[in-house]
Amino acid sequence: MNQLKNMKELWRQQETETLKFSKDELQGMMRQRSSSVVKWILIISILEFILPNIFFLFTDFEASREFNEKYGLTNMVNIYLGIHLVIILVFVYLFFRNYRNISADTSVKMLMQHIISTRKTVKYYIYYNLTIAAIIGFHMFYEVFNSKAFLTTLPEKTNIALVWVISSVLFVLVLFVLWCIYKLVFGYFLKKLTRNYQELEHAG
Amino acid sequence: MTKDLETKFLSELDKHQNIIHKVCRTYTNNDAAHKDLFQEITIQLWSAYPKFRGESKFSTWMYRVSFNTAISLYRKNKRNIETTPLLENKIDLEFSEYNDKQDRQLDLLYKAIHSLNDIEKALALMYLEDKSYEEIALTLGITEINARVKMNRTKTKLKNILNP
Repeated sequence: MNQLKNMKELWRQQETETLKFSKDELQGMMRQRSSSVVKWILIISILEFILPNIFFLFTDFEASREFNEKYGLTNMVNIYLGIHLVIILVFVYLFFRNYRNISADTSVKMLMQHIISTRKTVKYYIYYNLTIAAIIGFHMFYEVFNSKAFLTTLPEKTNIALVWVISSVLFVLVLFVLWCIYKLVFGYFLKKLTRNYQELEHAG
Repeated sequence: MTKDLETKFLSELDKHQNIIHKVCRTYTNNDAAHKDLFQEITIQLWSAYPKFRGESKFSTWMYRVSFNTAISLYRKNKRNIETTPLLENKIDLEFSEYNDKQDRQLDLLYKAIHSLNDIEKALALMYLEDKSYEEIALTLGITEINARVKMNRTKTKLKNILNP
Protein backbone atom coordinates (compact mmCIF):
# COMPACT_ATOMS: atom_id res chain seq x y z
CA MET A 1 0.00 0.00 0.00
CA ASN A 2 3.08 2.21 -0.08
CA GLN A 3 2.22 3.47 -3.51
CA LEU A 4 -1.17 4.66 -2.27
CA LYS A 5 0.53 6.50 0.57
CA ASN A 6 2.66 8.27 -2.02
CA MET A 7 -0.51 9.13 -3.83
CA LYS A 8 -1.72 10.88 -0.71
CA GLU A 9 1.37 13.05 -0.85
CA LEU A 10 0.75 13.80 -4.51
CA TRP A 11 -2.87 14.58 -3.72
CA ARG A 12 -1.91 17.04 -1.02
CA GLN A 13 0.43 18.87 -3.33
CA GLN A 14 -1.99 19.19 -6.20
CA GLU A 15 -2.47 22.64 -7.55
CA THR A 16 -6.03 23.70 -7.14
CA GLU A 17 -5.21 27.29 -7.90
CA THR A 18 -5.50 26.72 -11.66
CA LEU A 19 -9.23 26.29 -11.28
CA LYS A 20 -10.48 28.84 -8.85
CA PHE A 21 -13.64 30.86 -9.13
CA SER A 22 -13.78 34.46 -7.97
CA LYS A 23 -16.30 35.51 -5.32
CA ASP A 24 -18.38 37.19 -8.02
CA GLU A 25 -18.48 33.99 -10.04
CA LEU A 26 -19.45 32.04 -6.93
CA GLN A 27 -22.21 34.50 -6.14
CA GLY A 28 -23.51 34.20 -9.70
CA MET A 29 -23.56 30.42 -9.38
CA MET A 30 -25.42 30.27 -6.08
CA ARG A 31 -28.20 32.38 -7.56
CA GLN A 32 -28.79 30.00 -10.45
CA ARG A 33 -31.66 27.57 -10.37
CA SER A 34 -31.06 23.94 -9.59
CA SER A 35 -31.40 21.40 -12.36
CA SER A 36 -31.08 18.40 -10.08
CA VAL A 37 -32.72 15.02 -10.39
CA VAL A 38 -35.08 15.96 -7.56
CA LYS A 39 -36.63 18.71 -9.62
CA TRP A 40 -37.27 16.24 -12.42
CA ILE A 41 -38.69 13.74 -9.98
CA LEU A 42 -41.17 16.37 -8.81
CA ILE A 43 -42.23 17.28 -12.36
CA ILE A 44 -42.54 13.66 -13.51
CA SER A 45 -44.38 12.67 -10.32
CA ILE A 46 -46.92 15.48 -10.63
CA LEU A 47 -47.52 14.40 -14.24
CA GLU A 48 -47.97 10.84 -13.09
CA PHE A 49 -50.49 11.96 -10.50
CA ILE A 50 -52.46 13.85 -13.10
CA LEU A 51 -52.18 11.64 -16.20
CA PRO A 52 -54.19 8.61 -15.07
CA ASN A 53 -57.11 10.93 -14.38
CA ILE A 54 -56.74 13.42 -17.17
CA PHE A 55 -58.91 11.48 -19.61
CA PHE A 56 -61.89 12.47 -17.50
CA LEU A 57 -61.45 16.00 -18.78
CA PHE A 58 -61.82 14.86 -22.36
CA THR A 59 -64.81 12.62 -21.90
CA ASP A 60 -68.21 13.73 -23.03
CA PHE A 61 -69.90 14.16 -19.63
CA GLU A 62 -73.39 14.10 -21.04
CA ALA A 63 -72.72 10.95 -23.05
CA SER A 64 -71.20 9.10 -20.12
CA ARG A 65 -74.07 10.19 -17.88
CA GLU A 66 -76.50 8.77 -20.41
CA PHE A 67 -74.45 5.59 -20.75
CA ASN A 68 -74.38 5.15 -16.95
CA GLU A 69 -78.11 5.71 -16.67
CA LYS A 70 -78.88 3.37 -19.52
CA TYR A 71 -77.00 0.49 -17.90
CA GLY A 72 -77.84 1.44 -14.30
CA LEU A 73 -74.24 2.35 -13.38
CA THR A 74 -74.78 5.82 -11.91
CA ASN A 75 -74.64 4.82 -8.22
CA MET A 76 -71.70 2.50 -8.69
CA VAL A 77 -69.68 5.13 -10.59
CA ASN A 78 -70.37 7.81 -7.96
CA ILE A 79 -69.25 5.56 -5.11
CA TYR A 80 -66.03 4.64 -6.93
CA LEU A 81 -65.36 8.29 -7.76
CA GLY A 82 -65.71 9.29 -4.09
CA ILE A 83 -63.36 6.54 -2.90
CA HIS A 84 -60.93 7.36 -5.70
CA LEU A 85 -60.73 11.06 -4.78
CA VAL A 86 -60.07 10.30 -1.11
CA ILE A 87 -57.33 7.82 -2.02
CA ILE A 88 -55.69 10.32 -4.40
CA LEU A 89 -55.56 12.91 -1.63
CA VAL A 90 -53.92 10.38 0.71
CA PHE A 91 -51.28 9.60 -1.94
CA VAL A 92 -50.58 13.28 -2.64
CA TYR A 93 -50.16 13.89 1.10
CA LEU A 94 -47.75 10.94 1.44
CA PHE A 95 -45.83 12.06 -1.63
CA PHE A 96 -45.21 15.58 -0.35
CA ARG A 97 -44.35 14.31 3.11
CA ASN A 98 -41.63 12.11 1.60
CA TYR A 99 -40.59 14.78 -0.89
CA ARG A 100 -39.94 17.31 1.85
CA ASN A 101 -37.54 14.87 3.51
CA ILE A 102 -35.21 14.98 0.49
CA SER A 103 -32.25 17.07 1.54
CA ALA A 104 -28.65 17.20 0.40
CA ASP A 105 -27.79 17.78 4.03
CA THR A 106 -28.17 14.15 5.15
CA SER A 107 -25.83 11.18 4.73
CA VAL A 108 -25.40 9.74 1.24
CA LYS A 109 -27.43 6.65 2.14
CA MET A 110 -30.21 8.60 3.83
CA LEU A 111 -30.65 10.87 0.82
CA MET A 112 -30.95 7.84 -1.45
CA GLN A 113 -33.53 6.29 0.90
CA HIS A 114 -35.60 9.46 0.84
CA ILE A 115 -35.51 9.73 -2.95
CA ILE A 116 -36.38 6.05 -3.35
CA SER A 117 -39.29 6.23 -0.89
CA THR A 118 -40.64 9.36 -2.61
CA ARG A 119 -40.61 7.56 -5.94
CA LYS A 120 -42.14 4.49 -4.28
CA THR A 121 -45.17 6.56 -3.29
CA VAL A 122 -45.70 7.31 -6.97
CA LYS A 123 -45.08 3.65 -7.85
CA TYR A 124 -47.80 2.50 -5.45
CA TYR A 125 -50.06 5.23 -6.78
CA ILE A 126 -49.65 3.88 -10.31
CA TYR A 127 -50.26 0.30 -9.10
CA TYR A 128 -53.34 1.51 -7.27
CA ASN A 129 -54.63 3.20 -10.43
CA LEU A 130 -54.13 0.06 -12.51
CA THR A 131 -55.85 -2.04 -9.84
CA ILE A 132 -58.81 0.29 -9.43
CA ALA A 133 -59.10 0.52 -13.23
CA ALA A 134 -59.25 -3.28 -13.37
CA ILE A 135 -61.86 -3.47 -10.58
CA ILE A 136 -64.08 -0.76 -12.03
CA GLY A 137 -63.61 -2.11 -15.56
CA PHE A 138 -64.66 -5.65 -14.69
CA HIS A 139 -67.48 -4.44 -12.47
CA MET A 140 -68.76 -2.36 -15.40
CA PHE A 141 -68.45 -5.30 -17.80
CA TYR A 142 -70.45 -7.38 -15.35
CA GLU A 143 -73.21 -4.79 -14.97
CA VAL A 144 -73.40 -4.00 -18.70
CA PHE A 145 -73.25 -7.61 -19.92
CA ASN A 146 -76.07 -8.52 -17.55
CA SER A 147 -78.26 -5.54 -18.31
CA LYS A 148 -81.38 -5.91 -20.40
CA ALA A 149 -80.42 -2.84 -22.41
CA PHE A 150 -77.24 -4.59 -23.58
CA LEU A 151 -78.61 -8.09 -24.04
CA THR A 152 -81.38 -6.92 -26.32
CA THR A 153 -78.89 -5.28 -28.68
CA LEU A 154 -76.93 -8.50 -29.15
CA PRO A 155 -77.60 -10.59 -32.24
CA GLU A 156 -79.28 -13.91 -31.46
CA LYS A 157 -77.14 -16.89 -30.49
CA THR A 158 -74.25 -14.65 -29.44
CA ASN A 159 -71.93 -16.50 -27.14
CA ILE A 160 -71.80 -14.26 -24.05
CA ALA A 161 -68.75 -16.13 -22.74
CA LEU A 162 -66.87 -15.13 -25.88
CA VAL A 163 -67.88 -11.48 -25.37
CA TRP A 164 -66.43 -11.73 -21.87
CA VAL A 165 -63.19 -13.33 -23.04
CA ILE A 166 -62.54 -10.81 -25.84
CA SER A 167 -63.39 -7.79 -23.68
CA SER A 168 -61.27 -9.05 -20.79
CA VAL A 169 -58.24 -9.86 -22.95
CA LEU A 170 -58.30 -6.45 -24.65
CA PHE A 171 -58.77 -4.66 -21.34
CA VAL A 172 -55.98 -6.54 -19.58
CA LEU A 173 -53.72 -5.89 -22.58
CA VAL A 174 -54.28 -2.13 -22.28
CA LEU A 175 -53.50 -2.24 -18.54
CA PHE A 176 -50.39 -4.33 -19.21
CA VAL A 177 -49.07 -1.82 -21.78
CA LEU A 178 -49.63 1.04 -19.31
CA TRP A 179 -47.78 -0.92 -16.64
CA CYS A 180 -44.82 -1.55 -18.99
CA ILE A 181 -44.59 2.14 -19.91
CA TYR A 182 -44.57 3.04 -16.26
CA LYS A 183 -41.88 0.49 -15.41
CA LEU A 184 -39.66 2.02 -18.10
CA VAL A 185 -40.09 5.57 -16.76
CA PHE A 186 -39.51 4.43 -13.17
CA GLY A 187 -36.46 2.38 -14.09
CA TYR A 188 -34.95 5.19 -16.14
CA PHE A 189 -35.01 7.60 -13.23
CA LEU A 190 -33.86 5.26 -10.51
CA LYS A 191 -31.38 3.02 -12.31
CA LYS A 192 -28.22 4.79 -11.19
CA LEU A 193 -29.60 5.54 -7.76
CA THR A 194 -30.67 1.95 -7.10
CA ARG A 195 -27.26 0.68 -8.20
CA ASN A 196 -25.45 3.05 -5.85
CA TYR A 197 -27.83 2.26 -3.03
CA GLN A 198 -27.20 -1.47 -3.42
CA GLU A 199 -23.47 -0.79 -3.43
CA LEU A 200 -23.81 0.93 -0.04
CA GLU A 201 -26.10 -1.77 1.33
CA HIS A 202 -23.68 -4.62 0.64
CA ALA A 203 -21.57 -5.06 3.70
CA GLY A 204 -18.57 -6.66 2.06
CA MET B 1 -30.04 39.28 7.74
CA THR B 2 -30.10 37.44 4.41
CA LYS B 3 -27.30 39.68 3.21
CA ASP B 4 -25.20 38.75 6.25
CA LEU B 5 -25.91 35.10 5.69
CA GLU B 6 -24.93 35.42 2.05
CA THR B 7 -21.67 37.20 2.84
CA LYS B 8 -20.78 34.62 5.47
CA PHE B 9 -21.63 31.76 3.15
CA LEU B 10 -19.64 33.25 0.26
CA SER B 11 -16.54 33.69 2.33
CA GLU B 12 -16.75 30.08 3.64
CA LEU B 13 -17.42 28.82 0.12
CA ASP B 14 -14.48 30.76 -1.26
CA LYS B 15 -12.18 29.51 1.47
CA HIS B 16 -13.09 25.85 0.92
CA GLN B 17 -13.82 25.83 -2.81
CA ASN B 18 -10.89 23.49 -3.46
CA ILE B 19 -12.94 20.71 -1.81
CA ILE B 20 -15.67 21.13 -4.43
CA HIS B 21 -13.10 21.22 -7.22
CA LYS B 22 -11.66 17.92 -6.05
CA VAL B 23 -15.12 16.34 -5.92
CA CYS B 24 -15.90 17.72 -9.38
CA ARG B 25 -12.66 16.45 -10.84
CA THR B 26 -13.38 13.05 -9.29
CA TYR B 27 -16.89 12.76 -10.74
CA THR B 28 -16.51 14.45 -14.14
CA ASN B 29 -13.99 14.27 -16.91
CA ASN B 30 -14.21 17.54 -18.80
CA ASP B 31 -14.25 21.23 -17.98
CA ALA B 32 -17.85 21.87 -18.99
CA ALA B 33 -19.17 19.08 -16.77
CA HIS B 34 -16.82 20.13 -13.98
CA LYS B 35 -18.23 23.64 -14.01
CA ASP B 36 -21.79 22.36 -14.30
CA LEU B 37 -21.41 20.07 -11.30
CA PHE B 38 -19.62 22.83 -9.36
CA GLN B 39 -22.58 25.11 -9.94
CA GLU B 40 -25.12 22.49 -8.87
CA ILE B 41 -23.11 21.79 -5.68
CA THR B 42 -23.00 25.53 -4.96
CA ILE B 43 -26.78 25.80 -5.39
CA GLN B 44 -27.36 22.80 -3.12
CA LEU B 45 -24.96 24.17 -0.49
CA TRP B 46 -26.64 27.55 -0.51
CA SER B 47 -30.13 26.11 -0.25
CA ALA B 48 -29.08 23.84 2.66
CA TYR B 49 -27.00 26.55 4.38
CA PRO B 50 -29.78 28.02 6.55
CA LYS B 51 -30.06 24.58 8.19
CA PHE B 52 -26.32 24.37 8.86
CA ARG B 53 -25.95 24.78 12.59
CA GLY B 54 -22.23 24.43 12.90
CA GLU B 55 -22.50 21.09 14.72
CA SER B 56 -19.93 19.78 12.30
CA LYS B 57 -17.14 21.70 10.61
CA PHE B 58 -18.15 23.64 7.51
CA SER B 59 -15.75 21.55 5.43
CA THR B 60 -17.26 18.27 6.72
CA TRP B 61 -20.74 19.49 5.95
CA MET B 62 -19.52 20.64 2.54
CA TYR B 63 -18.20 17.15 1.76
CA ARG B 64 -21.57 15.61 2.56
CA VAL B 65 -23.55 17.98 0.37
CA SER B 66 -20.97 17.75 -2.43
CA PHE B 67 -21.01 13.93 -2.47
CA ASN B 68 -24.80 13.86 -2.32
CA THR B 69 -25.00 16.20 -5.29
CA ALA B 70 -22.38 14.33 -7.30
CA ILE B 71 -23.72 10.84 -6.53
CA SER B 72 -27.50 11.25 -6.37
CA LEU B 73 -28.69 14.68 -7.41
CA TYR B 74 -26.60 15.77 -10.36
CA ARG B 75 -28.09 15.10 -13.74
CA LYS B 76 -25.43 14.71 -16.38
CA ASN B 77 -25.82 16.97 -19.36
CA LYS B 78 -25.66 15.50 -22.81
CA ARG B 79 -22.44 17.32 -23.51
CA ASN B 80 -20.80 15.26 -20.80
CA ILE B 81 -18.69 12.53 -22.35
CA GLU B 82 -18.57 9.13 -20.69
CA THR B 83 -15.46 8.42 -18.67
CA THR B 84 -12.65 6.68 -20.43
CA PRO B 85 -11.18 4.35 -17.87
CA LEU B 86 -8.10 2.23 -18.32
CA LEU B 87 -4.52 2.99 -17.78
CA GLU B 88 -1.76 1.49 -19.72
CA ASN B 89 1.29 2.82 -17.98
CA LYS B 90 2.57 1.59 -14.72
CA ILE B 91 2.90 4.52 -12.43
CA ASP B 92 6.22 5.20 -10.90
CA LEU B 93 6.35 8.01 -8.43
CA GLU B 94 9.30 10.11 -7.58
CA PHE B 95 8.50 12.96 -5.35
CA SER B 96 11.75 14.81 -5.53
CA GLU B 97 10.83 16.24 -8.90
CA TYR B 98 8.22 18.96 -8.88
CA ASN B 99 7.46 19.34 -12.52
CA ASP B 100 5.17 18.26 -15.32
CA LYS B 101 5.72 14.69 -14.33
CA GLN B 102 3.84 15.35 -11.14
CA ASP B 103 0.88 16.74 -13.07
CA ARG B 104 0.96 13.71 -15.32
CA GLN B 105 0.93 11.41 -12.33
CA LEU B 106 -1.96 13.28 -10.82
CA ASP B 107 -3.81 12.92 -14.13
CA LEU B 108 -3.21 9.19 -14.02
CA LEU B 109 -4.46 9.05 -10.45
CA TYR B 110 -7.67 10.84 -11.46
CA LYS B 111 -8.06 8.53 -14.44
CA ALA B 112 -7.72 5.56 -12.11
CA ILE B 113 -10.35 7.05 -9.79
CA HIS B 114 -12.67 7.59 -12.77
CA SER B 115 -12.84 3.86 -13.36
CA LEU B 116 -14.21 3.25 -9.85
CA ASN B 117 -17.95 3.27 -9.17
CA ASP B 118 -19.64 6.30 -7.57
CA ILE B 119 -19.37 5.05 -3.98
CA GLU B 120 -15.77 3.93 -4.41
CA LYS B 121 -14.92 7.35 -5.82
CA ALA B 122 -16.19 8.94 -2.60
CA LEU B 123 -14.17 6.44 -0.54
CA ALA B 124 -11.00 7.05 -2.58
CA LEU B 125 -11.36 10.80 -2.22
CA MET B 126 -11.88 10.58 1.53
CA TYR B 127 -8.89 8.24 1.82
CA LEU B 128 -6.68 10.71 -0.05
CA GLU B 129 -7.99 13.49 2.16
CA ASP B 130 -7.04 11.46 5.24
CA LYS B 131 -10.54 11.40 6.70
CA SER B 132 -11.20 9.27 9.77
CA TYR B 133 -13.34 6.14 9.50
CA GLU B 134 -15.83 7.80 11.82
CA GLU B 135 -16.25 10.72 9.43
CA ILE B 136 -16.39 8.44 6.37
CA ALA B 137 -19.09 6.32 8.03
CA LEU B 138 -21.10 9.41 8.96
CA THR B 139 -20.81 10.94 5.50
CA LEU B 140 -21.92 7.79 3.72
CA GLY B 141 -24.46 6.74 6.35
CA ILE B 142 -22.98 3.29 6.93
CA THR B 143 -21.35 1.63 9.95
CA GLU B 144 -17.66 2.13 10.67
CA ILE B 145 -17.00 -1.59 10.16
CA ASN B 146 -18.70 -1.45 6.80
CA ALA B 147 -16.68 1.66 5.93
CA ARG B 148 -13.43 -0.17 6.74
CA VAL B 149 -14.39 -3.18 4.63
CA LYS B 150 -15.35 -1.00 1.70
CA MET B 151 -12.25 1.14 2.05
CA ASN B 152 -9.96 -1.89 1.92
CA ARG B 153 -11.72 -3.15 -1.16
CA THR B 154 -11.48 0.26 -2.83
CA LYS B 155 -7.79 0.61 -2.00
CA THR B 156 -7.05 -2.83 -3.45
CA LYS B 157 -9.03 -2.00 -6.56
CA LEU B 158 -7.27 1.33 -6.98
CA LYS B 159 -3.90 -0.33 -6.54
CA ASN B 160 -4.74 -2.93 -9.16
CA ILE B 161 -5.74 -0.24 -11.63
CA LEU B 162 -2.54 1.67 -11.00
CA ASN B 163 -0.47 -1.50 -11.46
CA PRO B 164 -2.13 -3.43 -14.25
